[in-house]
Amino acid sequence: MRFNEKELVCLSRQPSEMAAELGMRGPKKGDVVKRRLVKLVVNFLFYFRTDEEEPVGALLLEQCRVEREDTQIFSVAFLDDAERKYLFECDSEEQCKEWIDSIIKASYEFMRRNLIFYRTEIHRLTGKDPLEQYGISEETRFQVNSGSQLMARDTSSL
Amino acid sequence: MKLNERSVAHYATCDSPPDKTGFLFKKGERNTAYHRRWFVLKGNMLFYFEERDSREPIGVIVLEGCTVELCESVEEFAFAIKFDCAKARVYKLAAENQVAMESWVKALSRASFDYMRLVVKELERQLEEIQDASGAGGQQGRPKPSRRNQMARSKSAASSSSSSSSSLSTSSSAPSMSAVYSAQKSLQDEVQLIPGNSRENGVAWSKPPSASANGSGEAAPSCGADGGRAPPVPPRRLGASLESPVSPDTGCFSKLHDWYGREVEELRVQWLQSQ
Repeated sequence: MRFNEKELVCLSRQPSEMAAELGMRGPKKGDVVKRRLVKLVVNFLFYFRTDEEEPVGALLLEQCRVEREDTQIFSVAFLDDAERKYLFECDSEEQCKEWIDSIIKASYEFMRRNLIFYRTEIHRLTGKDPLEQYGISEETRFQVNSGSQLMARDTSSL
Repeated sequence: MKLNERSVAHYATCDSPPDKTGFLFKKGERNTAYHRRWFVLKGNMLFYFEERDSREPIGVIVLEGCTVELCESVEEFAFAIKFDCAKARVYKLAAENQVAMESWVKALSRASFDYMRLVVKELERQLEEIQDASGAGGQQGRPKPSRRNQMARSKSAASSSSSSSSSLSTSSSAPSMSAVYSAQKSLQDEVQLIPGNSRENGVAWSKPPSASANGSGEAAPSCGADGGRAPPVPPRRLGASLESPVSPDTGCFSKLHDWYGREVEELRVQWLQSQ
């Protein structure tokens, strides 16, 4: 599958939510732990050899599961193949928790659910749809039942 | 650079709802003809398939940091996705009619993670304001709730899935005062939890290590303040001022929204003039 690699590399240089040197192990049997600079940028987890400018690789963090494996180790696996886990070794329990927390929140899907929650709450409390003023209330991704393209104007369906 | 391609392709076709789908013509890289492809927009990822019922995408365009513009082209209803990085490729696309073009341009220019994050932050702020306004007691002057929606998220320490299968659950219960108060309170807790460590505009430089976490100073993820090893400083986006649609520093949400609205207006004007 083709992807715009140059632009993704460029993205890896943007300000990050979290960046640290961690021990990283790939999902394949026989993969060993390697020190990598791991960097979280929007919904991507980039990993670099510690002295290099261009990442070795990137993981899109949608449809993924983050799990605590040990006091200082967490794993990232993807729902299409949940047994293939990328392992990350942290320096402390605290750091491990921070990473897990950040990665969970680093998906578009997570944000979408938050947004729908806030929108619904605000509507419940005020009777008004907060997205109306921005002209984006009809956009598919902000609907509670996002599957349907046609949503009734009536916001009591929220 | 590697990418978890198989999982990314799975994301394209899994049952999480797409933000927009439709046919567009895409200009080839080497072969400069326009090819009709089926496009699926999910979040900040624009997938394209050979056919509508193809099982796997041919490719994906990561949209983060892009701008969308009209472009001159033999092809009608054409627009381009551009990136602000060196030697970036320009993706030329064309819709089948004016309405479709405008709709895609609008959707694509607002597809970034950053934009979504801003919208969420804005609503979060609004909700907090509303809660503060309703008073500390949380019990006066509130409209009688007809339905209570609660965020259902697995909060187990062991695992948390961000798959689309976890959904909002609604529970209606008798709106007794104490029940409502505790709902408000837990809502406040939720609101604190959701954004986690507060970050300016949702985009931050690498966080400085807390004293307990990285006492040894090894692999300090800070921006260099503590003298630890810092990741390379990202270049400022060319031409991006502190406040612009593509700058993550744009703090004022309504201003950002004006930008987007203006962009669409300008595109419309441009198109009309080119007629």
